[in-house]
Amino acid sequence: MEALIEWARGPFFWAALTFMVLGLLRHLAITLWDIFRVLRRAGDKNMPYKQIATNTVKWLFPIDKVGNRFVLSMTSVCFHIAVILVPIFLAGHIALWKRGTSLSWPALPNLASDILTIIAVISAVAIVIQRSMAKASRGLSRFQDYALPLIIAIPFATGFLVMHPQWNPFPFNVMFLLHVVSANVVLILVPLTKISHCVLLPLTQLVSEVAWHFPENAGSKVGVALGKEGEPI
Amino acid sequence: MSESEKKNYSYYVEQKTLDVTDRPRKFLQAFAAVLEHGSYGVALDTYTRVSAKCARCSSSCQLYEATEDVRDIPCQRSELLLKVYRRYFTRSGLMKARLFGGFTLTDEYLDTMAEEYYRCTACRRCKSTCPIGIDHGLVTHLARWLLAEIDVIPKALVVATREQLEGVGNTSAITVPGLKDTCEFLEEELEEEYGIAAKFPIDVEDAEYVFFPAVSDYLLEPDTLMGNAAVMHVTGASWTIGTGNFDGIDYGLFYSDRMMESIVNNVVDEVHRVRGKKVLVGECGHATRSAWYIPTFGGEKPPEVINCLQYAYQALKDGKIPLSNRKIEERVTYHDPCNIARAGRITEEPREILKMICTDFVEMTPNRAENYCCGGGGGTVSIDEIREFRTTLMGKRKADQIRATGAKYVVSPCANCKKQLKEVCEDNGLDEVDVVGLHDLLLKVIDFSDFQIDKDESSEEGETDTPAEMQEAAVNNPTETESGIDSE
Ligand code: SF4
Ligand code: SF4
Repeated sequence: MEALIEWARGPFFWAALTFMVLGLLRHLAITLWDIFRVLRRAGDKNMPYKQIATNTVKWLFPIDKVGNRFVLSMTSVCFHIAVILVPIFLAGHIALWKRGTSLSWPALPNLASDILTIIAVISAVAIVIQRSMAKASRGLSRFQDYALPLIIAIPFATGFLVMHPQWNPFPFNVMFLLHVVSANVVLILVPLTKISHCVLLPLTQLVSEVAWHFPENAGSKVGVALGKEGEPI
Repeated sequence: MSESEKKNYSYYVEQKTLDVTDRPRKFLQAFAAVLEHGSYGVALDTYTRVSAKCARCSSSCQLYEATEDVRDIPCQRSELLLKVYRRYFTRSGLMKARLFGGFTLTDEYLDTMAEEYYRCTACRRCKSTCPIGIDHGLVTHLARWLLAEIDVIPKALVVATREQLEGVGNTSAITVPGLKDTCEFLEEELEEEYGIAAKFPIDVEDAEYVFFPAVSDYLLEPDTLMGNAAVMHVTGASWTIGTGNFDGIDYGLFYSDRMMESIVNNVVDEVHRVRGKKVLVGECGHATRSAWYIPTFGGEKPPEVINCLQYAYQALKDGKIPLSNRKIEERVTYHDPCNIARAGRITEEPREILKMICTDFVEMTPNRAENYCCGGGGGTVSIDEIREFRTTLMGKRKADQIRATGAKYVVSPCANCKKQLKEVCEDNGLDEVDVVGLHDLLLKVIDFSDFQIDKDESSEEGETDTPAEMQEAAVNNPTETESGIDSE
C-alpha cells in the first residue's frame, strides 16, 4: 500500500501534471497559431479589440451575467471558485510543493479550505442534478457532461476525509490513495475534455471575432479548389 | 412552380438541388477547401474543444423560447456541423472512427442540416449568453455555405442571386430604364408634395457618394428613397446612382461567401466605374454588413462605407438638415436590425434622430446589441413559403415586444426587417401598427422652406433643368460639395 501511495504521489502525479501542462500548452499554442494565421491572411485587419477584451473580462468574471438562470449560474460560479482555489491554495498542498521544489506561496486558512471543499462537492452534485432536471440542458448533455463534475468531486470529497480522519469511516491509507489517484485522473482529463476551457476561455471571444475576418480571396479560392470558377449559379 | 419541390425541406429548392448525387463526399470536399482557404477552422477547433453544453444559449434564442424543442437550442444546431468537423477534420475524430467506426455523414444527415440551418436566422443573439462566446450565427453562416456547395439553397435566394450576378444585374430584376422611370417618378412626387427639386442623380462621375439601397426599395419603399434623396438634397451632397450596379442586397451573406465576394466586388467596381469616393448604403441591415466587407474583398484602395443613418445623423448634428416645428406625435418605437446593431456598430444614430423628430419615442426591451431578431433574418424573410414559421414561431417574441410598446410606428431601417415586421404585425393581430423606414419619418419633418423650387429658381442665374446638369452644377460648386460629413 505504502509503495502504491508513493508511486501515486510521485511518478504518477508528475506524469499526470506534465501531461496536463503540455496538453494545455498544446491547446494554447494551436489556438494562438490559428488566430495569428487568420489575422495574417485577413483582408480586413481592423479588429474591435476593446470590445473583445471587455467581453472576455466579463465572462472570466461573470458578475453581471448571473442574472440569466440565477440558481444554475450561482452553482456554477461557486463550483468554479472552489475547484480553482482549493487545489492551489490548500496549506497541505503548498507544504508538499515546498518540500519537493522549495516553491511556496500564501495559503488559505484551513477553515476556508474546508468550506470551499464542501462547496465544491455539493455544487458538483447540484450541477449534475440541475443539468438533468432542465429540459434544454438535459437535451444537450453528453455522458462527459454528467460524469466530469462527479469525477472532479472525488478528489475533493476524499481530500476532505483525509484532512478530517475523525469523519473518515475507511482506512486512512485507502482514502489517501483514492485522493491522489483521482486527482491525477482529473489532471489527465483536463486537456482531453471540455475542461481545457481553463486555458482557452481568455481566447474564445477573440476566436469568435477573428473567424469573421475572411482572407481576401477566400471565396474565389474555394471556387477554384472545387473547380467551380465560371460555373453558372 | 413545377421545377421546384419541397422534398425534405420546408422551403422550395430548384430541381438542380434534387439532382445532385454523391453529396456527402462533395460536402466534405467543400468543407476541406473552406477550411484550407477560409478563417473558420480556428473557431470550429476551439468550439469542439470547449463547448460546455450548458444550455444557457437556449434562453436567448427566440425560436427555442417559442418551440421549446431541443432541436432549436443553438448549441444543438451547431453541434450538427461540429460533429462532422470533429469526425472528419480532427486527428482524434479520424482515429476514433478508424478504431470504433461510429458516425458517418449521410444524405439524411445533410437533409437534417439543410432544414435546421434555415431555422436559425444567424442573428447572433445567442452568442452574448454563451460563456464560451460560441457564435452560432457564424456556424450557421458556414453550414449554409457548405450546403450551397452541394446546391442546397432555398430557391428564393438562389434565383435572386442569379439575377443579380448573371441576369439583369440586381435581385429585383429592375432594368435601367425601369430605374430611371422610378427615379423620375419619385422626383415628381418630391416636387409635388414638398415643392423641392430633389434629384436622384444617375451616373454622375466623381461624386462623393455612390448610393446602394436594397434594390427592392425602388419597388416597395418610395418614402424611404424620397427621404434619402431629400436628405442629400438639403445637405447639398454630391451623390449618384450608378446604372451599372445599384443594388446593395447581398444574399451571399446568407448562403455563400463565394457569392458574397462577387457581389461586394461588383459594388466596388461600380464605385470605381463612376469614379465615386464612398459607398452610401441605404436603409438595409445586411447590405450594410456586406458593405463592411469591402475592406476584405475590395482590393487596393477600397472605398469608404457609410450607412445613410450615419450620414443623416451627422448632418442633423451639423445643423445641415433644417427641421420644422411639426414633429411626429404618434408613438414611435425602433427595431434594431441585427446586422447593424448586434456588434454595436449602429445603434445610437437612429435613436438620436428619432428623439429629434418624434415627441413620443419609446424603446423596446431588450434593444440595441441585445435586440431580438425580427424573425426574418439570414435571408429567411425572402422565403415566402415559410411565412407561418417566420411570423408565428420566429416572430412571436418581436410581436410581443411591439405590442408592449403600444407604438403606432415601428421604425426599422432595413428592407428585410420591414417586410418581416409587416407580416409579423399582420399575422399577430397588430393591425394598427405601421412599419416604416427612418427616412420615411424624417422626410415628414424636414423644413423645406428654404428649398422651395420657385425660390431656388428666382435666386439663381443660369438655371439648370436636367438632373445631370443640376448635379454637375452641384459638383462644381465647392460650397455645396464640401458637405463636411464624416463617415465615422
Ligand atoms: S436564431 Fe439567432 S439566437 Fe437563435 S440560434 Fe440562430 S443566431 Fe442564435
Ligand atoms: S451557452 Fe455556449 S456552451 Fe452553453 S450550450 Fe450554448 S453554445 Fe453550448
